[in-house]
Amino acid sequence: MTDPGVTSDENWRIIDDGVHDEPVHHALDDVLIDRLDDGEMAPTIRFWYRTGPAVPIGRFQAYADEVADEYVRDHDIDVVRRITGGGAMYAEPGAVITYSIYLPRAAVADDIERSYERLNRWAIDALRGLGLAAVHEPLNDIAHEDGKIGGAAQLRRSNAVLHHVTMSYALDIEAMLRTLRIGEEKLSDKAVTSAEKRVTRIADYVAEDHEAVIDRLKDEFRTTYGGEAGSLTDDELMAAERRAETTFRTDEWNKRL
Amino acid sequence: MEQTGSVKVPDGKLVTVTATYEDTIESVTITGDFFLEPPEARERLERVIEGRPTDVPKQELVDAIETVDAELIGFSAAHLAEAVREAIDR
Repeated sequence: MTDPGVTSDENWRIIDDGVHDEPVHHALDDVLIDRLDDGEMAPTIRFWYRTGPAVPIGRFQAYADEVADEYVRDHDIDVVRRITGGGAMYAEPGAVITYSIYLPRAAVADDIERSYERLNRWAIDALRGLGLAAVHEPLNDIAHEDGKIGGAAQLRRSNAVLHHVTMSYALDIEAMLRTLRIGEEKLSDKAVTSAEKRVTRIADYVAEDHEAVIDRLKDEFRTTYGGEAGSLTDDELMAAERRAETTFRTDEWNKRL
Repeated sequence: MEQTGSVKVPDGKLVTVTATYEDTIESVTITGDFFLEPPEARERLERVIEGRPTDVPKQELVDAIETVDAELIGFSAAHLAEAVREAIDR
């Protein structure tokens, strides 16, 4: 059997610009995976830059179970339901690293557990290159012996796969615990310290700043897959703005469960 | 009445079932941090569970869940059936 997972013969587009609000980021995932699935787009990796704090929740999660609603409203935290499964994360500009990879289905292992490991490998290599002993932790986590650094989630279409990842660079753990309901009992006493151990932050181990870590990730990606710097097209952005309006800014989508 | 049952898969995901029932299971909602391909299969999983009596054996639930053409990722048909039993047992 061949080993799908890495092909460098594709002409990859590497997008590392553009600040968008949370609904537009999710709309971009939805639009771009559609376009790749329809054969209208080259394989792409896109780094996310956010306008404010946000909680991307998993597609199948119950909003009320995951989010401390009052805190989120008081602090203007944008809660958006992802198109992928998995768990809720807390994200702040400059304090997390999020990227989406849109790649042909033929380049991805059919076995899902294997495909997560394969698609996380280049990022783990990049973190190791910075001196952080990162490992893949099945099913979908990037971890360190002290805790979880980040998580991946995938969505599969007939001809395309979305693999997106959020890692903690220097996340405000207390804000995370106040935003997500998993933190409720943990904040009630001195147990915050033990809860903090569950999330490991890149900046606690690596001297490079946020931008330098992203540069290192881009270098490793380019070495592994090839590709050139690019931007979103106006058409892609407009389509995403429309889809944000119809879906990702609506309670009908974000609070459907 | 409406009840919730949850199963935490060891080293895996959390599957929660909210069920409305009297003598039969009237409606079911499945939530959690699992993965499912295709994602639209969630509603089909709910439909094959609904309409069954509240004393439905676990194996009958597993068999029904397995008739749905979907890949359950991070949990199994048995975990989902267990969460359903949890929701309607009390």
